[in-house]
Amino acid sequence: MKQPFSTVLHNKFTASLLAICLFFIAGCSKSFLDVAPIGQQTSATFFANATDATAAVTSCYGHLNEWRVAGFAHLAVTSITSDDAEKGSVPGDAGFLNDFDNFTFTATQFEIDDYWTGQYAGVNLCNQCIDNIPAISMDASLQARLVAEAKFIRAYHYFNLVRAFGGVPKVDHVPVTADELNPVRAAAADIYTLIESDLNAAVSVLPASYPAAEIGRASKGAAMGMLAKVKMYEKKWAEVLALTDQVIALPYALMSDYYKMFRVAYENNSESLFETEANTFANDCGTYCQYSEVQWVRPVGWGFNVPTSDLVNAYEPGDLRKAATIIFSGETTQDGDVIPLNSPNPRYNKKIYVPSYVPNACGYGYGRDQNRRILRLGEIYLIRAEAANELNDTAKAKASLNIIRNRAGLPSINALSQANLRTKVWNERRVELAMEEDRFFDLVRQGRAGQVLRAQGKQFVDGKNEVFPIPDRQITLSGNKLTQNPNY
Amino acid sequence: MGKIKQLFTLVGKNCVASLQRMKLTIAFILVTSLQLSAKTIPHSRVIPKLQLTTQNNFVTDDVKVTGKVTSAGGEPLQGVSVLIKGSAKGTSTDGGGSYSLSVPDGSSLIFSSVGYISQELSVNGRTEINVQLQPSALSLNQVVVVGYGTQRKIDVTGSISSVKGVEINKQSSQNAVSSLQGKVAGVQITNNGGPGSSPQVRIRGVGSLTATDPLYIIDGTIVSDLSFLNPNDIESIDILKDASSLSIYGVRAANGVILVTTKKGHPGKPQFSYNSYVGVQIVTNSLLMASAKKYAFLVNEKLGLPTVPEYPTTDWYKQILRPAAITHNHQLAVTGGTKKLTYNASLGYFNQEGLVNKNDYGKITGRVQADYKINNNLKIGGQAIYYHYNSTDIPGDIFYQAYVAPPIMAVRKANGNYGDPFDYNVGNFANPQASLDWFNQRSKGHSITASVFGEYKFARYFTFRSNFGLNNGINESRRYVSKDSLTTVQHTSVSSLNRDSSHSRKWVWDNTVTYERKIMKHRIKAMLGYSSSNDKFTSDGWSVNNVANTGESSLKISNGDPASVKHNFGGNEATFLSYFARVNYSYDDRYLLTATMRRDGSSKFPSDNRFDNFPSVGVGWNITKETFMSNQKIFSNLKLKASWGKLGNASIPTNISVARVDSGGIYNYVFAGTGGVVWHGANNTVFPPKSLVWEIVKESDLGFEMGLLKNKLTIEADYYDRQTQNGIFSLPILGTVGTSNSSVLGNFATYDNKGVEFSANWRSNIRSLKYNIGINLSANKNKVVSILGGNVDLYGGGLPVGGYLTTLARVGDPIGSFYGYKVTGIFQTDAQAAASAQPNAKAGYFIYQDQNADGVIDSKDKVILGNPNPKITYGFNSGFEYKKFDIQLDIQGVVGNDIYNANKGVRFGNENYTDDFYQHRWHGAGTSNTYPSADLSGANLDPNSWFVEKGSFVRIRNVQVGYTVSNRLLERWKIQKLRLYLNAQNPFTYFKYKGFTPEIGGAPMSTGIDLNVYPLSATYNFGVNMIF
Repeated sequence: MKQPFSTVLHNKFTASLLAICLFFIAGCSKSFLDVAPIGQQTSATFFANATDATAAVTSCYGHLNEWRVAGFAHLAVTSITSDDAEKGSVPGDAGFLNDFDNFTFTATQFEIDDYWTGQYAGVNLCNQCIDNIPAISMDASLQARLVAEAKFIRAYHYFNLVRAFGGVPKVDHVPVTADELNPVRAAAADIYTLIESDLNAAVSVLPASYPAAEIGRASKGAAMGMLAKVKMYEKKWAEVLALTDQVIALPYALMSDYYKMFRVAYENNSESLFETEANTFANDCGTYCQYSEVQWVRPVGWGFNVPTSDLVNAYEPGDLRKAATIIFSGETTQDGDVIPLNSPNPRYNKKIYVPSYVPNACGYGYGRDQNRRILRLGEIYLIRAEAANELNDTAKAKASLNIIRNRAGLPSINALSQANLRTKVWNERRVELAMEEDRFFDLVRQGRAGQVLRAQGKQFVDGKNEVFPIPDRQITLSGNKLTQNPNY
Repeated sequence: MGKIKQLFTLVGKNCVASLQRMKLTIAFILVTSLQLSAKTIPHSRVIPKLQLTTQNNFVTDDVKVTGKVTSAGGEPLQGVSVLIKGSAKGTSTDGGGSYSLSVPDGSSLIFSSVGYISQELSVNGRTEINVQLQPSALSLNQVVVVGYGTQRKIDVTGSISSVKGVEINKQSSQNAVSSLQGKVAGVQITNNGGPGSSPQVRIRGVGSLTATDPLYIIDGTIVSDLSFLNPNDIESIDILKDASSLSIYGVRAANGVILVTTKKGHPGKPQFSYNSYVGVQIVTNSLLMASAKKYAFLVNEKLGLPTVPEYPTTDWYKQILRPAAITHNHQLAVTGGTKKLTYNASLGYFNQEGLVNKNDYGKITGRVQADYKINNNLKIGGQAIYYHYNSTDIPGDIFYQAYVAPPIMAVRKANGNYGDPFDYNVGNFANPQASLDWFNQRSKGHSITASVFGEYKFARYFTFRSNFGLNNGINESRRYVSKDSLTTVQHTSVSSLNRDSSHSRKWVWDNTVTYERKIMKHRIKAMLGYSSSNDKFTSDGWSVNNVANTGESSLKISNGDPASVKHNFGGNEATFLSYFARVNYSYDDRYLLTATMRRDGSSKFPSDNRFDNFPSVGVGWNITKETFMSNQKIFSNLKLKASWGKLGNASIPTNISVARVDSGGIYNYVFAGTGGVVWHGANNTVFPPKSLVWEIVKESDLGFEMGLLKNKLTIEADYYDRQTQNGIFSLPILGTVGTSNSSVLGNFATYDNKGVEFSANWRSNIRSLKYNIGINLSANKNKVVSILGGNVDLYGGGLPVGGYLTTLARVGDPIGSFYGYKVTGIFQTDAQAAASAQPNAKAGYFIYQDQNADGVIDSKDKVILGNPNPKITYGFNSGFEYKKFDIQLDIQGVVGNDIYNANKGVRFGNENYTDDFYQHRWHGAGTSNTYPSADLSGANLDPNSWFVEKGSFVRIRNVQVGYTVSNRLLERWKIQKLRLYLNAQNPFTYFKYKGFTPEIGGAPMSTGIDLNVYPLSATYNFGVNMIF
């Protein structure tokens, strides 16, 4: 009950405390609630300069090594389906890959969904570059080149998509509206138009070559070669012929040694138009690719996607390419590695072989330094051969074909009818490009997939299996806005 | 020892030093040797005998009365007021429940304490009066803890469940939250994981879909879980369940709030307590896997091969599990103080062997709390809790490895090398034993959780309180991978060292002014408050290659190859700013009103939409206080209550509305192949949610509380209707969007949880057998009300293998309902399959129902297959006391939920099968029409009804038998109380589900998807509770 003094004290004390409170409330509320993300850049500050633009385009390349783009999904869709390869590994391991060998997959098969989402993830990376880089204030020629590189890679992804699924949603910029976020399928022809337009843009901008440190970027020759290949699928033979002539006129040269062309030591060789670069570093194991690891001999590798006996039989006697394409268990490789005779599979893919002396900086995972060869001059000769033959320029066709045959140690082909030469070129494509993941698409393009594949005991259904089912997961997520391919 | 002594000496200056020392000696002996022997304790002359004065009542009119006040359970009660009737003279009991008072003969003593029924006893010439106070189910002064204060229980209009620390401590759990399982209606607790992990808590069904954990507040400090807290330090846990009690926490309250009040000191001599248990943990419901022979049968059946030669079976679970894992726990606590200064301090040590060999977890907890009354108006106080843990870790996927490892693989070969999957031609499998042996990771962490407050009473009716709470924790781990080649699958040619640390810091500063006044029959309590808080988390990781391991001290980043150093850094930060007010009004204790309002702002939301208001109102009617009820004897308490309120949810990731840039890793690239250098890659790959709006919860609650037969029977029931509007959750996005996040957060749906909670407790005695029986039941129904942006179905629950979507949200059905094909049988022949709507199927494959009869099985044929949410969650709790013995039995369970047994379909190749699968599989026409063939691949893995199983279970949660040692014996040992007990936790769980455990949990669109391969276990403890 000590009144006067304590009342004063009360009031002073209370007043000061309340004042502190009020100050805190009034003073800091705005800035107090503005908190920046920690350790991660925001989009608002990205695509601000040439460094960001370069990093963004680098990410498009990086994605080419991604598991869905270069791993199981890629091999399942493009290779195991073909008569060149079968599942491999040990019985029962990843048994679902047999569904690709036998064409018994359904729309819920998750590797098909992986293939779809992997390609579209790449498309998004490219779209980000194509949409945002032009607005950056930076060196104009670098700016144009980076956009062109992104267009080249976007074209690559759409080429994969259109070959695998037919018409797919055309996402040619970063989606914003509800309809863009849940797009319908475009016609296959529209996708081809987009691919051609991207590649034409790339051809007109990209340099023919790069400084040594940047080799591996998409070049004019790569874009031109890719365009030729795309137009071959569209059977635009005259344009294909003109483009292949132009590529061949560029300073590329066939590797004399077919085997060495696929070794780490000969990455980005004179024949290479485009390949994905993979390498491991002690301080960065993120730049690897598992493409080789999943195919290499068990147990060091996983032993999937192994050559069939039918492929072995496809080589003419004396073809040097057979021993450079197929490992036979029990053999000693050209680089001195002994392949155990008791390996689970009789044959493995040699084109992905990384000799044991190549250092692996990450310490685990076989072959993570192997580049994936996407396009090379050898194929350009064969594309030219095919185009020339379709245009009845048999001499040019044979000349092109024989360049490839002679390198393989095979004699030149002389007189043949157009139809016979067509078959000859197709056969040559098979052995020259064996295990390079084009065979299934080639068979479909050539209109004989059912005939050839059923002969191998596969349950290929005409009018259905020429394309893969649109992934059920995507149809579901689209609320059935995406339509299914016929007969799936 | 020296330090402990110093600490206690400091805190309890006023104590008798020699007593102190002696007690510490006892404590030390107990802690260190666990051997309690009367002989090691010096018989001392300093202890004042409690009952020495029986012979001196002839001297004067005043009689010296001594005695002991205990609870119904025999626990000494501290701080009980002992008042001479009709005077202001009195005392209060000390830590041992003892008191001593000079009393005029012929007078009466009144014993009273909050939460107990007061007793009045006339002295009648007695010199020793021992009293046992009965708890009052609802005394006028009984309070419950509410947000930013307390409220008289009688005034509460919301739904709040309180659990006393005593109840929690009866279960020897290392995490207080798991002790709540089955105790509280409306609270579903899912225990999972290994040592040190925290259980999942859900209050009133699915609250928010992004995070379901409630907000934990310990004495005003926000924490993310209670693993740092010794359960023995808990005075009470109050669970706020309805919107009217929750909305004072506004945007942080959508998933409920758990308020933890720790023990505070009481005036009196220092009282020591020692609690300890030693236990053993044993796996109970292990899943029988296929033997080597059965496995070989299945694999070869799948491949169509003749059966291979037999191998001996390796039971991989048995191989990695300890037959019995030992746990021990010790805690020493002291409390005491003067009228001005009170304190409470404790020190705890806990050690647990994991179920898996090599896995060890140890923690030390320390706590100091003190309150100081500077004068009648000003009080300050604070507490600090220190927590340190240390663990030897095991690979995160070791159980998965054991689950899939082929039983034909030997642990070791004849030559001593590890068994290698290559030798069996079955594909790549880790040898789980090699994984365990190779894995070299330790982690440790410490945290300080502290708070300080000042409380100032002014202008008679006002109290100003300022509380600052801080939770600061650091976790560190180091992992070393030696250069080794254990099997063809497990090897590396480069050693590596990872050192990761994370730092979390949360602070909250609350300031409140409370006005409390009673004018005639009007009782008003009003509070105005302001709070600001900040949550920050950063992580920092370093790794390096080629470190030579020559002991723990050599494992430094600087000892590795400098060219291989990698560093990454990340984190998040969020801030909150809140203003709030609450008014409690009651008229004559009959009519009650509670109204609250909170305005919250958070950095987690876009800057143009940062603030929202969260009001609530509750009313109550204490019918028994009405005059017309005064003559009835049935109801000792009857209260009706109703409330409504709005809550928000901020448990969403920070900065989600900001699109971010991913960099490094797969986005890096090297040009020029070999010999090239790494180019930094970065891009916009995270799809940001567009214009996120606040997720809000609106909840109405109707309930009653009832006390019958002098509160022997108490019943509480609530009905609630809780609607989550603009619910924020994560959904898979279309592949064509192409972002690295394959799912995106957004405001996707509005959904309801409606339910009933009921609890009844009966407390009585039959002669000297005292007992209490309680049941609690809660029924909850979840239903999607609307999907934002159109009446479409939303899909989720993606599985790790294949990404199959297994759940959906559809208007009218529970959120996260299982979704897929309905299996109608098994194709018995290939011909049957070929002629069906599934032409690619084979004999032994599932027949899916063609719902729309269009001759094709596609996504249009998928239907809802089950509901992951239990219909009813229940608990049964009971306690019996007979003389020196006490028994507790707790049972809990859930009814009516479904589980998606995803483990059955996690197959890449030749993973092991369960024995159940072997027994029931299809293996030829006529063998099974329910289980498929061993070829579990392709369309057989599509989400379907075979994977959906019933998840009901019932469990004996806790059985305990205690014995309190007789007083006579204790007096000789100078111990006030000694209780020994045996306890069994989860000794028995019954379920029909074919996985390891039916307790699944999981994020809301993935609730009940079982990918758990961690077996259930029981713990058997022997424990001691001692006060001295």
